[in-house]
Amino acid sequence: MIEVRNLEKVFQKDQSEVRVLEDISLTIGEGEFVSIMAPSGMGKSTFLNILGCLDKPSSGTYILDNVPVHEMNDDELSHIRNKKFGFVFQSFHLLPRMTAWENVTLPLIYSEADANMKAKAVQVLEAVGLGDRVDHLPRELSGGQQQRVAIARALVNDPRIILADEPTGNLDSKSGQEIMGIFKKLHGEGRTLIVVTHDREVALLSDRIIEMKDGRISSDRPTAQALTEVAL
Amino acid sequence: MRAARMARQALSAVSENKTRTLLMMLGVIIGVATLTIIASSVLGARGMVMEKVEKFGLDQIMIMAGAGRKPGVPQPIPTTLRVEDGQAIESEVPNIKDVSPQINRRDYLVKYGAKSSYGVLVAANPNWSAVWNTAAESGRFLSEEDRTRLARVAVIGKTVVRDLFEDEDPIGKQVLLGNNPFEVIGVLEPRGTSATGVDMDSRVIIPLSTGQKRVFNQEYLAMIKVALQDPSRMDQTVADVRALLRERHNLPQGLEDDFTIVTPTQVMSLASKVSTTFSLFLVLVSAISLIVGAVVIANIMFIAVNERKGEIGIRRAVGATKNDILSQFLFEAVTIALLGGVIGAALGIVGLKGLAFLMKAPMAAMWQPIALALLSAALVGLAAGIQPARAAANLNPIEALR
Repeated sequence: MIEVRNLEKVFQKDQSEVRVLEDISLTIGEGEFVSIMAPSGMGKSTFLNILGCLDKPSSGTYILDNVPVHEMNDDELSHIRNKKFGFVFQSFHLLPRMTAWENVTLPLIYSEADANMKAKAVQVLEAVGLGDRVDHLPRELSGGQQQRVAIARALVNDPRIILADEPTGNLDSKSGQEIMGIFKKLHGEGRTLIVVTHDREVALLSDRIIEMKDGRISSDRPTAQALTEVAL
Repeated sequence: MRAARMARQALSAVSENKTRTLLMMLGVIIGVATLTIIASSVLGARGMVMEKVEKFGLDQIMIMAGAGRKPGVPQPIPTTLRVEDGQAIESEVPNIKDVSPQINRRDYLVKYGAKSSYGVLVAANPNWSAVWNTAAESGRFLSEEDRTRLARVAVIGKTVVRDLFEDEDPIGKQVLLGNNPFEVIGVLEPRGTSATGVDMDSRVIIPLSTGQKRVFNQEYLAMIKVALQDPSRMDQTVADVRALLRERHNLPQGLEDDFTIVTPTQVMSLASKVSTTFSLFLVLVSAISLIVGAVVIANIMFIAVNERKGEIGIRRAVGATKNDILSQFLFEAVTIALLGGVIGAALGIVGLKGLAFLMKAPMAAMWQPIALALLSAALVGLAAGIQPARAAANLNPIEALR
């Protein structure tokens, strides 16, 4: 479903060019649970942004569901983000003045769905275990609960791909485990998950670990294999 | 549907920070309030002047004795305008419906017992009532018999009635005009204040013949009011009247008129010239406050866009297009400006009521200026919002999410 060939991303900084991503090629199939690991500042977030159509590659091709995404304009990319992706961020990015359910409806506002938005939002909140928190404001919720609202928001349009950027980075380990439990469940429902993390425990839940270094993929293998290598 | 949802999003942002919203609205509130007051009172004043001019008669001209006041030039008392001039105009100039000659004196002492009042004494013929569009409210107006008999009868205005009679019925009572006793036969319907500030209800009307022989002891007239049959031919008629009077007064070429012809268009253009200058100045004031309002809104919007980068980023991430973001912020700016406009218009109406009370003049809020004020408020919002909204739309979503 995701097919990336010779992807490059170059940032213009002052007079010099910074090559953040270099010659990245990979394929991610339907229903895979992939984690991307790299030390900070090694381009993994940029890569995730490109996969999520928030950013465009400087060169190379990106085919999503047989459609060349790298040729699309801004409006088309917005539409793709709305329909095919759900984003989960390290710092949740909830809108502080809106209640939990209102935050969850945000993607619906920009889609053509006309159904009862609140009913849909409440339903998804219940699915992530927040059925009793629908009318709370973000500041009235714990970090783990806020992240679950964010996951509900990512799910409300029923996207097939969930992109998460350090989803447990701001959480204590118990909340982090809850979040990863939800991710596991989503994976079990057949969704594709791509998680950027530098937390080994998170990565171990996935089927496949891609490691990046200096903007390149340094290793890409099934988790089981990675495990044995660590053991050696 | 999508638009309605996005409008609701913008509204919630507007209501979130009330102090800031109020601050943003302030300029617009002041601008719209002043615009409402100004436009309503100017239009109202113009309407009042026009009404007066219409009462004066759009189909009428006035011939005043004398060349009209000129500063620094001593004026001889004009004695040349005569009753015969009026008769000649009626018989020789086409397009004449009626002619009403009169003599008048301002500040004329009227007495009844121990009470006194100063009125405008007008000596005129019975057709004065029709030509001046002023009837007797009670009693009767002057009759043809009063004219031929040189009767000592008077029809008086409401102010004189109030000054002299209080609760008494004035009809049939004797008043003194100068030292001449006159019988009150009627009361004129109220006419208020003239465009030049004369109390029209202080008029006392007596027969012209009586005035000439028994009061003023003069044959010559102060003015002749002429009603036309067809007002559209006014210019031609004025020229004809002028030519006839110059001939009758033996004025050689090069000598100026010894009379002045006033037409309703002259009165109207004078009135509108005054109010145009006045309104231009005041429109400038409200325009400036609207511009200041726009600048304030634009500046605070820029700050808000900067503060709400995260929100913009997340909206972009979940599928908002640049246009969605642009419309959201633009809608916010217009909503704030319009809200300010509504508050301003309400304040303006309150201000008008206050002014009406203070100046004891009716000042109605009019819908046209309010509509104009609200429209300009919306335009202010659009103009002020477009740049910040563009900045918001063009934010790189990744930058915004950092």
